[in-house]
Amino acid sequence: MNIHLKNLVHRYDIEVISNLNFDLTGYNSVAIIGASGSGKSTLLRILSSLEKPSEGEVTMNGMDIDSKAYRKKIGFVFQNHNLFPHLTLERNISLILEKTRGFNKDEAKQTAVKYLSMVQLEDQVYKLPKNVSGGQAQRASIARAFSLNPDLVFMDEPTSSLDPVLTYEVLSAVKALRVLGKNFIFVTHVMSFVKEFADYVIFMDKGLIIEHGPPSILTNPQSDALKRYISYT
Amino acid sequence: MKFLLKFFIPYLLASLTFFAFLAFVIIARDASFSFDNLITIYGNLIFTGFFNTILVSIITLFGSLIVGFILYILSLSSIRYLVALVDVFTEIIYGTPLIVMIILMAFLIGPAFDNFNRPFLGITGLILYIAPLMKNVFKSGFSSIPKEQYMAMDLFGFTSFQRYQYLIIPQVIRILMPPLMNNFSLIIKGSALLYLLAFPELYYGISIAQSRSFLFVEGYILLWMLYLVITIPLSQFTKWIEKKIIG
Repeated sequence: MNIHLKNLVHRYDIEVISNLNFDLTGYNSVAIIGASGSGKSTLLRILSSLEKPSEGEVTMNGMDIDSKAYRKKIGFVFQNHNLFPHLTLERNISLILEKTRGFNKDEAKQTAVKYLSMVQLEDQVYKLPKNVSGGQAQRASIARAFSLNPDLVFMDEPTSSLDPVLTYEVLSAVKALRVLGKNFIFVTHVMSFVKEFADYVIFMDKGLIIEHGPPSILTNPQSDALKRYISYT
Repeated sequence: MKFLLKFFIPYLLASLTFFAFLAFVIIARDASFSFDNLITIYGNLIFTGFFNTILVSIITLFGSLIVGFILYILSLSSIRYLVALVDVFTEIIYGTPLIVMIILMAFLIGPAFDNFNRPFLGITGLILYIAPLMKNVFKSGFSSIPKEQYMAMDLFGFTSFQRYQYLIIPQVIRILMPPLMNNFSLIIKGSALLYLLAFPELYYGISIAQSRSFLFVEGYILLWMLYLVITIPLSQFTKWIEKKIIG
């Protein structure tokens, strides 16, 4: 993948991302790590076009992140699954395929069931999100992101609301889907997953990228901020 | 059987308690008491009024839903003036008695635009009066959907229409239903003021019957009963919808 950030600034009431300049080419699984409030989730949301940056220039794989074409090529896994609560797991996927991707009803349904089976949810297809466990809902949300056949999958702390068993379950599902050959950009606090799954790591603190490089930067941190962060995890 | 014991009988007893109280006050009254004349002589007038009240209420319900939705959309506008306009309108309506609204509409605002159709103006007044309440119903319903869901709708590329049709309305209807029905009941009772414009709704029919027959108290009791005949099934219907359709 290719990430290009130039003079990127984002502020809500306060500045959460301060003048980022960053270029990355190659790699297909990038982890963004950092403490709460470091700006990592905001950066992820900007890269995935969920939020418009206050200032600056961002392109992904050479595409303008504001374009419709870019949006059709990405999948997003939200922190708390974010499935539509009134739709079954199957309908959460097939509705999108049918209404926004031009599938017919049967194709949409078959595709939905296929992707749900890939994350071991074949028995839960017609349940509502409230009637399955948090881990199952999150796996359905992962299936939803992949079913859109994206080039790039974003994951925003996909396991932050889950206990260790469910975390393992969800991350195994992600690993199983790696065979589909997608690119990933994700935010997480689970360092074992970063070491195993990422081929590039970006560490953020106070709205800035402090360190970046292969996962080995985690075993040999240079900055005080990253040393401190790792000592907590 | 369980339904009978747990639901039907307690409610039947509770209803009978109120009727017993009513019967007591009627019997305790010295003067003679009769509905016969009211119903036999003025029955037609009263029942025309009854159906007109239902008709006007339904028209007002849909009218105020549409105007309320427009107000809601305007209140989300990025043009500050429009947002302020909705706010000021809402505040003015909140402080205006319905009776003033209807009179102003029929005798001041309407004529200023060369419109002297009083039933139309009266209903318009009623619609404008309820619309800000409907706007708030929409606001509370739609804001109950978390921001992340709107982000997801955006990301997946749903059109505005699809969002409302498949995602927003099916979710908020459950939250919207009770306040919506409260407003409908306000409309039904509010429509009584259209009698001021000589519109033949229920209260108008009753008041004519009262003034000709001198059966004032009886007239009001009949009026009361007929309103209950509309509002009680309505609230039961709302509960049924909430239970059956939305689950």
